[in-house]
Amino acid sequence: MSRIEALIELDNVRKSFGDFEVLKGISMFVQKGEAVCIIGPSGSGKSTILRCINGLFPIDEGFIRVGEHRVHELKSDKAMRALRHQVAMVFQQYNLFPHRTALQNIMMAPIQVLGHDRAEVEERARKLLKKVRLSEKADSYPGQLSGGQQQRVAIARALAMQPEVILFDEVTAALDPETVKDVLFAIRELVEEGLTCILVTHEMKFAREVSQRVCFTDHGLIVESAPPAELFDNPQDPRTREFLGQVL
Amino acid sequence: MAGFALHYDDKKRAVQLLIALGVVVWIAVDAATGGSAYWTRVLLRLPLLLTGSASGWPVTGGFVLNILLSIASMVLATVLGTIMGLGTLARVGLIRVPSVLLVNFLRNSPWLVLLFATLYFLPFEMRIFGTIVPFPPFVKAVIGLALPTAANLSEVIRGAVQSVHSGQWEAARSLGYNTLQIYRHVIMPQAMRRMIPGWMNLYALLMIATALATVTGIQDVLTILNTLLAMENERVIVYFYLTILFLFIAYCYPIAAIARRLERAVKGDSL
Repeated sequence: MSRIEALIELDNVRKSFGDFEVLKGISMFVQKGEAVCIIGPSGSGKSTILRCINGLFPIDEGFIRVGEHRVHELKSDKAMRALRHQVAMVFQQYNLFPHRTALQNIMMAPIQVLGHDRAEVEERARKLLKKVRLSEKADSYPGQLSGGQQQRVAIARALAMQPEVILFDEVTAALDPETVKDVLFAIRELVEEGLTCILVTHEMKFAREVSQRVCFTDHGLIVESAPPAELFDNPQDPRTREFLGQVL
Repeated sequence: MAGFALHYDDKKRAVQLLIALGVVVWIAVDAATGGSAYWTRVLLRLPLLLTGSASGWPVTGGFVLNILLSIASMVLATVLGTIMGLGTLARVGLIRVPSVLLVNFLRNSPWLVLLFATLYFLPFEMRIFGTIVPFPPFVKAVIGLALPTAANLSEVIRGAVQSVHSGQWEAARSLGYNTLQIYRHVIMPQAMRRMIPGWMNLYALLMIATALATVTGIQDVLTILNTLLAMENERVIVYFYLTILFLFIAYCYPIAAIARRLERAVKGDSL
């Protein structure tokens, strides 16, 4: 795959928290419309990769490009805004704003950050709520919704920014098993529509079904990267084999 | 034995009832043995203690002045406390370090000393842009009491802001908000609810502290009482002080009680 046509490009990214080096030289490419899953043991740096891509964490060394943004060079809030417009994120703990209703949660940022017209944003927000099958919950507060419902609102909130890329950070890890499938269903739809997605996940079955490529990380490095059928059925690296042996 | 296992709340209520009953009995016994004459004197002076004039009108001081002083101080303290609180949260060291120093200085100074300090440091008038702004004792008392209250309030605000889950910051940042917008649209609306109980508690404390303002010479309830007592015999003093004590308790206890109830209500939302 050539670097030029990739939508997202990471080259030898290093990141430390204090003395602990979380990322020890991550390099990867993501094509437009591609769904890439990142799997690996906890503490291997999966979530940190996502936070570096949208600039939540500044990196110590290396190169990150998303579209035309050179993320590692962005410093000001204003420069970050264009990147955040392009890259949305959904979190493990949903992180909805508890003082606003579901509909307001979705509408806030497009109006307050992007300056879009309120009426147009509301129409968009109601469509998105319908898409995640929560139309009747528009006026509920996050505290009144179940985990799975909150997470779907969070997905709608991310989509309202009309991003080109969505980062999913273990979005089903905090959910009850019976609500997981609703959330996965919503994500699957997005992937099928051709939205570029990077997913950190522990749902191996889902990763296998939905993604075009799976990256296995361990101790701050991408050990192996391959199409799911290859990586799951015929892992090359002993560490991948060991990990898959434990979780599958 | 199970029948005697009272709940904590029941026990508390029983003790409170016993104390109230004891006070009532003591007052009744005392009144019967000659105390009623003293109480009559207190009742006669009550309008003066409350409003500063013997007939109860116009209001020139007394307990009403204490209330006005507490409200004016609280308004000023809220403004100053918010500025100081945000100052201690600033990422820029040039703002944060002086703010933290100021807050800690004010929080750890005795209120009475701060009151004396404003009394002697502030001139009785000041020339600002050609106009003469007078600083009467009342204004000095307002400032003197507002300073420590503001410092304590700034800690309440800092605590409330920091109690908002860090995920809220991440989510807002990932949606493109800048720091100022995050405070305005995400953090402050949530922190506000959590600081209301602390704010009310502080107000009750401030109201109690207004009794200190007698050192500035304003005609507050204590100043009036002192003038009054010069004309009364020694035995009646106790009855006057009990009355004033009761005035403060009657005003402050409900505020503190509501604050406690709100605190419990806010604790419930772990969002």
